[in-house]
Amino acid sequence: MAEQVVFASVRRLGELIRERRLSPVTLAETFLERLERLGPRYNAVVTVTRARALEQARRAEAEIAAGRYRGPLHGIPYGAKDLLATSGGIPTTWGAAPFRDRVFDFDATAIVKLEAAGAVLCAKLAMVELAGGMGYRQPNAAFTGPGVNPWSRDAWSGGSSSGSGSAVAAGLVPFAIGSETWGSILSPAGNCGVAGLRPTYGRVSRHGAMALCWTLDKLGPLALTADDCGLVLEAIAGRDPADPTTVDRPFRHGATAPGRPFHFGVLRGVTEGAEEAVRENFERSLAVLRQIGTVEEVALPDLPYDDITRTILFAEAASAFEDMIESGAIRGLTAPEDHYTAYARDAILAKDYVKALRLRGVMAREADRVLAPLDALVAPGRAGEAARLDGEVRSAIRGTARDVMGAVGNGAGLPAVAVPNGFGPRGLPTSLQFMGRAWEESTVLAAARAYQSRTDWHERHPADLT
Amino acid sequence: MSEPETSRPPEAIRPEVETMLALVRERYGSRLSPDELAGVRTAIEGIVQAAHALRAVRLGNGEEPGQAFAAYRAEP
Repeated sequence: MAEQVVFASVRRLGELIRERRLSPVTLAETFLERLERLGPRYNAVVTVTRARALEQARRAEAEIAAGRYRGPLHGIPYGAKDLLATSGGIPTTWGAAPFRDRVFDFDATAIVKLEAAGAVLCAKLAMVELAGGMGYRQPNAAFTGPGVNPWSRDAWSGGSSSGSGSAVAAGLVPFAIGSETWGSILSPAGNCGVAGLRPTYGRVSRHGAMALCWTLDKLGPLALTADDCGLVLEAIAGRDPADPTTVDRPFRHGATAPGRPFHFGVLRGVTEGAEEAVRENFERSLAVLRQIGTVEEVALPDLPYDDITRTILFAEAASAFEDMIESGAIRGLTAPEDHYTAYARDAILAKDYVKALRLRGVMAREADRVLAPLDALVAPGRAGEAARLDGEVRSAIRGTARDVMGAVGNGAGLPAVAVPNGFGPRGLPTSLQFMGRAWEESTVLAAARAYQSRTDWHERHPADLT
Repeated sequence: MSEPETSRPPEAIRPEVETMLALVRERYGSRLSPDELAGVRTAIEGIVQAAHALRAVRLGNGEEPGQAFAAYRAEP
């Protein structure tokens, strides 16, 4: 039983449940057992929500038996990054020691929507403290310890949605919810060899989610396939009066490709600074993409993209956590550099923040102009294999790496999906990202699904998972 | 809109970095060790470099922030 379901896709599990060949209760018990037994190995889990999961699974089983099938997530276990508020006495820690016992009395909108879809919350998943917003430089930046990569226990899984990536990769949950301000979905997806979808800004309500940066924060799914990410996005997308940034644009996950060749673009110089294996795997990926479409080199005008998004992120994070910074409570965080780095953000002038916001408008227009004739920009998901657990994390946010795709994609609020596309010399996954125009999740997902239909990287799983 | 400049040499931004560091030292210095202040200085250098890159791009008067504000009125 366990062998058949642990690395089955959400779509496949949903079919088995709908046909009543698989019990939601049995499925929940399978993943709860794995979360409890294997979760600590990867520092992937903050709280296993056993009681809530079994209650939801029993309800799903009864509803389905009574003919009330809700859809493809009905009875499917999942985990949520521990920055999503959960009621019922389940802690919501934001990965930060000062909040390890904090409990909310309501559920985040994403949690509510998944419950309405019949999904079964099995765990709150580990994350970098405060989603990495205080300037961490190392994997050991959470009170739960460094996120450990299921592909190699001396490598990092993050971040900042570290547990969301490792839990999916290790078969602890079929899908997870993560968040991205700049890189926090695509990075763990790439490091752990799973699919991760960053939706368009405003597609998914952040109500009940920790705010790191109001104009950059997005919630999105991580799963074994791009197709599964689409199924989850359909459940969590939509207008929410509690989050005024959300819009009323329905998202329907399509099961078919556009019916014509794709048009892909590659930003000039996008692999500069990437590790050799990443460049080689990217070239091999382009060869696959040429089987399903065209690939052309494109260019963005020379603007300080990283500086624009970095300035917005630092200024808003300094305000979002003003109380913790001003009071010195950041001293209670795990990573030593998180105790003081945020003080530097007093050096950001209001005029420069507003300039960054004005340049964001230019950036968004230029990105859309480049993307308009394309289905997606493609690029390596990350510049290298995952950092070593005892090493330093290179980060475009701190300026120790360049990430134009991430700066533009997050700064302009564009959707992107990352999928595995090979391995590096340390045996760790590398990834390929597809980034599209605003609200074109269906297009980037169709492209990623087409790529995954011609490759088998997503069917490979870490060893030593029993 | 003009083209951005490349990073300025450390010497060129030092006065601004020192001014900003003095602000941080004034506000938080009592709780920061010398090593931590050095870390803050490094972070400020990055912030000042980014600010210079932003300031180097000239924008027209009509270029509004890419973030809309909407007047608020509670629904009945």
